[in-house]
Amino acid sequence: MHELSIASGLVEKLLEFSAHNPERTILEVRLEIGELSHIDSEQLRFCYESIAKETPLEGSILTIARVPAIVSCPHCTYRGRPDYWDEALAIAPVMTMRCPHCGKAVEAEQGHECAIKSVRLLDTHTAPSV
Amino acid sequence: MIKLEAQPDEIYDIELEHSLLEANEKLARQNRALLDEHGTTAIDFMGAIGSGKTTLITKLVEKLKNQCGVAVFNGDATTSEDADQIEKLGVPVVQIATINGCHLDANLVGKGLRKIDISKAKFIFIENIGNLICPAEFPLGSKARVVVVSVTEGPWMVRKHPHMFLGAQIVVINKIDLADAMGVSVEALINDVHTLKPDITVIPTSCKNGTGVDAVAQTLLAI
Repeated sequence: MHELSIASGLVEKLLEFSAHNPERTILEVRLEIGELSHIDSEQLRFCYESIAKETPLEGSILTIARVPAIVSCPHCTYRGRPDYWDEALAIAPVMTMRCPHCGKAVEAEQGHECAIKSVRLLDTHTAPSV
Repeated sequence: MIKLEAQPDEIYDIELEHSLLEANEKLARQNRALLDEHGTTAIDFMGAIGSGKTTLITKLVEKLKNQCGVAVFNGDATTSEDADQIEKLGVPVVQIATINGCHLDANLVGKGLRKIDISKAKFIFIENIGNLICPAEFPLGSKARVVVVSVTEGPWMVRKHPHMFLGAQIVVINKIDLADAMGVSVEALINDVHTLKPDITVIPTSCKNGTGVDAVAQTLLAI
């Protein structure tokens, strides 16, 4: 359940942004989560919504984009999508660090992301008041 | 009810590049720099509860403590059983209680590093929480990560928790003396690990009778 600590860090960062920008309301938060990270989107969303309650973030939408893994092989210069283990008895594809071309060990170039990319804001200063 | 819709010019996006794991990664880099400064190698041991992490660390400490300085950090949610066991060997031990935490993080390890004389330790063995998913996301500043699995966890152990292995450098397959009784093939487990990561070092052990512990010690000394 490390999603809780990640969601706490996320809310902390957004509340800090919110405190510095009192005239803006955060409507949507866009995250990028890499294929190689071990973060469950649904759990992260649940934790975020729970922590955001009764804060200026309540009601904001959390949008999570998955970033596909890209690997490169130092042995045969392959660069691209990783090899997947089809016979692993898994319901989801199991990514490996085996080169799809030469079978040796690859290095991950992309896929470890866990970051806030952007936020969508409503400018309450210029918006008409009710 | 009054409905109010914002005009398009009142809604806008701003880029806010901010890594949510960066805080831990930064502390992990600081831990590593501090360890490197003293020529100390930290090793992070991960694996399920009961896989044999504490027993393996105990055997390694017994083997290495007369030739180099060794300290141990025991991560545990609540008890100090493991730390108590290691302390009997007469090496510095730091018990890190995570209370509700499912993993050690670089902040906790950094605090532990300030409690011991790092310059006297060639090795710091860090025993992570018995959890197979969460610790993988949180580097601690160690030079190598070891996953300890045991044959008593069944034949599909590696396939069920592939992520843990992708970021590790060494895998110890423990309790091989029980493989026949469990009907588990050690060979098949080794093949599974290598299917996931071809360059990982796999060492079969039985911490109970001492098989393979020397090989683990030699591998760590060569890091």
